[in-house]
Amino acid sequence: MAEFIIALVQGILLVLLAPLASGIARWFRAKVHTRKGPSIFQDYRDIAKLLKRQDVHSNVSSRVSRIMPPLYIGCMIVLGMGMPMATRFSPIPFLADIILVIYMLALPRFFFALSGIDSGDAYAGTGGVRELIMGTLIEPSLMLALFVAAIACGTTNVGTMGQMVGAGTVQSPIAFVIAGIAFAVACYIEMGKLPYDEAEAEQELQEGPLQELSGPSLAMMHIAVPMKQVVLASMFVAIFLPFGSAVDLSVAGLAVGTVVYLVKMVVILVVTMVIENCVSRVRWKFVGHQTWFVFAIAVCAFAFCVLGI
Amino acid sequence: MQLFLISLAVSGVGALLALFTSKSEQTGKVLGCTAGTIASLFAIASGIGAITGPIQTTTAAMPFFAFSLRLDPLAGILITVISVLAFAAWVYGFSYFDDYKGKGIGVMCFFMNLFIASMDCVIAVDNVFWFLVFFELMSLTSYFLVVVEQNEASIKGGFMYFIMAHIGFIMITISFLIMASVTGSFEFAAFRTTHFAPGIASVCFILAFLGFGFKAGMVPFHSWLPMAHPAAPSNVSALMSGGMIKIGIFGIIKVGFDLLGASTPEMWWGIVVLLFGAVSSVLGVAYALAEHDIKRLLAYHSVENIGIILLGVGVALIGWAANQPLLAVLGLLAGLFHLINHAMFKGLLFLGAGSVLYATGTRNMEILGGLRKAMPTTAICFLIGSLAISAIPPLNGFVSEWFTYQGLITAAMTGDGIIKLVCAFGAVMLAITGALAVTCFVKAYGITFLGAARSDVAANAKEVPAPMRIAMVVLAVICIFLGIGAPLVVPALTQAAAVIAGQAAIDSASGAMLVNPVIDATISTPLLAVLLIAAVFIPWGIIKAKSTGGVSEEPDPWACGYYPSADMPLVANSVGAQVKMFWHPLYAMRDGLASQAPGYARAFKGIQNWAYKVQNWGDFLLVDPIAKFVDATAKLSSKLEGGDFRVYICYIVVALVVFLVLAIAII
Repeated sequence: MAEFIIALVQGILLVLLAPLASGIARWFRAKVHTRKGPSIFQDYRDIAKLLKRQDVHSNVSSRVSRIMPPLYIGCMIVLGMGMPMATRFSPIPFLADIILVIYMLALPRFFFALSGIDSGDAYAGTGGVRELIMGTLIEPSLMLALFVAAIACGTTNVGTMGQMVGAGTVQSPIAFVIAGIAFAVACYIEMGKLPYDEAEAEQELQEGPLQELSGPSLAMMHIAVPMKQVVLASMFVAIFLPFGSAVDLSVAGLAVGTVVYLVKMVVILVVTMVIENCVSRVRWKFVGHQTWFVFAIAVCAFAFCVLGI
Repeated sequence: MQLFLISLAVSGVGALLALFTSKSEQTGKVLGCTAGTIASLFAIASGIGAITGPIQTTTAAMPFFAFSLRLDPLAGILITVISVLAFAAWVYGFSYFDDYKGKGIGVMCFFMNLFIASMDCVIAVDNVFWFLVFFELMSLTSYFLVVVEQNEASIKGGFMYFIMAHIGFIMITISFLIMASVTGSFEFAAFRTTHFAPGIASVCFILAFLGFGFKAGMVPFHSWLPMAHPAAPSNVSALMSGGMIKIGIFGIIKVGFDLLGASTPEMWWGIVVLLFGAVSSVLGVAYALAEHDIKRLLAYHSVENIGIILLGVGVALIGWAANQPLLAVLGLLAGLFHLINHAMFKGLLFLGAGSVLYATGTRNMEILGGLRKAMPTTAICFLIGSLAISAIPPLNGFVSEWFTYQGLITAAMTGDGIIKLVCAFGAVMLAITGALAVTCFVKAYGITFLGAARSDVAANAKEVPAPMRIAMVVLAVICIFLGIGAPLVVPALTQAAAVIAGQAAIDSASGAMLVNPVIDATISTPLLAVLLIAAVFIPWGIIKAKSTGGVSEEPDPWACGYYPSADMPLVANSVGAQVKMFWHPLYAMRDGLASQAPGYARAFKGIQNWAYKVQNWGDFLLVDPIAKFVDATAKLSSKLEGGDFRVYICYIVVALVVFLVLAIAII
């Protein structure tokens, strides 16, 4: 029961705090531009304003467009509930299987791209297809990195992997570390931040599939996209850097775990903010070269795994 | 067993009735479809009973070869799958066959009944001779269903299918004959108990694997599949893609685990199967993405899913050879479950494509679009099928792919370097396949059913009649049930897999959980579904309550300031072109592979020409000399018989004289 409460709190806080993450990124971007910039709470104000606006859809759109934003949020809540955050183990273990997580990310992607086509807008559709192709390019790297981690830890559960790493009983540590690097890069690409925000790469594609959304639907997507980024970062932390999280349900442990988790998230946020403000967007047709490079890192990890070191 | 025999009898009677009444197409259709529906219900009952029940056998003495039948769990699974599909296809046919008026509906019902009965018989017979007879009957009847349209594409597709099916048939025959010559018996029961020498077992297995691979449509023997399956009527396509190619998988499992069950399996069998599976899955989906003909797209997806099933079977063979019973059962469970799931969602999707064809008269996605408004039931069913085949949780495709991944990871954990390498290759290929399948079905569903109509046929489409909708809804409900209700289905399947692999059962499900017992990995589709529904609708409800702006569905889509027209939105080729840009190596291989079936066809033509020449040799050597001799004798005799009566009188006189002389001499 206590685990379920933790999971529920995680899911709700994920929804409530996701705009803060994107707000901090906006604030940081303004500082890099030497602008005064909005406050870190600006995204909450934007969302509140959008919720009051009319929900406008194009005249050819169907229920797919209507259900996509809440579905996206729902999937991220479910993933957030299963992900070990303050704790080392997963609050709901059957949601923390690596294969389930990867395929659960495909569910919102399916509807995200479908809603682009559904709007009847050529640009939104193109943005959706780019999102899907990014998925095909990055999924092999994600899978191979997690495959290596699973073999090294002897389990496919994110929480159990974290426990193995915490206890130092990983079989081939070098392979595991390299897999961690590959996974981190793959996660970064999957987050859709610069230089990989390809779904909106051209002038006409601004916002990609989001461009036909408005009002509450757009507000929900403004919550959902940073949620996905936090979920991916949490997954990386839970598998590869579980140190400091609570190993049991004691109050002190949980408190320390929460603080440590927030610190890790802030560090990751800073790293991603620095990266996205230092680079320009990759040209669409060259994205494949970079994703294959990530795959090569994952293959290295696998080679070390076969060698057993 | 009785139920099974009744089903065969009903199919046979239905086939004959449909044939005899084929003058009146309506009567033929109703009789054929009704008999088919009843037969499939009997077969479902017998199949489900055989999955978990004891093995039943029966033998009828025949003058030539004993006609022995055997219903074991493997046969039970296959019979159930094919019969459920057949049920949907027959119900669908009540309306769908109307589209084929004037093309001999009664004859189609005749062939379809025979086709289903012969598939059931292939699965159940326990004797080499009858297996080959029914295998051939299955190929022939389905050939006639492929060419039913009698246009150029269907005849060409049918011919390719015919050639490829028979190359496979020859390999299977050789494999069985080798086993028969070793055991001295044509009964499968004898093979089952014989320990074949390792070399012979390997030869038999590889021949059977390749031969059945032709039937299953695995890469590189797949090129007939996208030509033949789309040409058949859509409910037959559903049966072929969902059911018939599974006979190929059935054959591989049967030869590997059952007929060679007493022999020592080799590790490399599993590796070969796994590699073929990995390549098939990724190439199948890549080629599907390049298609804009909706039925060809689905046919290529069958190649992909056969690959995924083979991944599971490969893991099972590796586990068996490595003497890891848990792994063998896990792999077999993954393969069999995906076999069932693929049959259900691919059947559903082919019926959906058939409905689109029925309503619009075209299979070309480029001129469709916006069909969801006119055809809501078809659209929802097709969406469920698309989600299921894309392995989206919590639907059934995901559950079986999860077990496949678990099998690969478990095998990699326990195996040596080569096994690790092969399994990682399989897992990566499966990941690429999954992502490409999502892309492909966003395209297939989005371009066909969403957006604005791009032609008059799409704008004027109407929802299909009730029997067709019922058939689709039945399969859609089964897809959802097999996904969310997986913890109910998996224990029975695990038990069946354990019997097939000859191992003890494993705990692959407990309560609402699905478990990989080796590494204790757990998921739960029912609980996931509940959580997902709550997590989607509770926030949505809150936000809806908070938002005050209302909803508008007035404006045109944005088009950069231009007036939006129906030509602007995305079409299927624009998706395919983008994917080709990033995955061009996969498409570069395509031409080489695609030239294979025409290559076989050319070889066949060559053999035909050679045969024309050769057929005279017999005359030269045997018939001609005899003919010449007869001719010469005739000429000689014609000199004796000149036709002049005076010569005949001379003969008579000479004869009289000779007899007189003889008589005097003797006396």
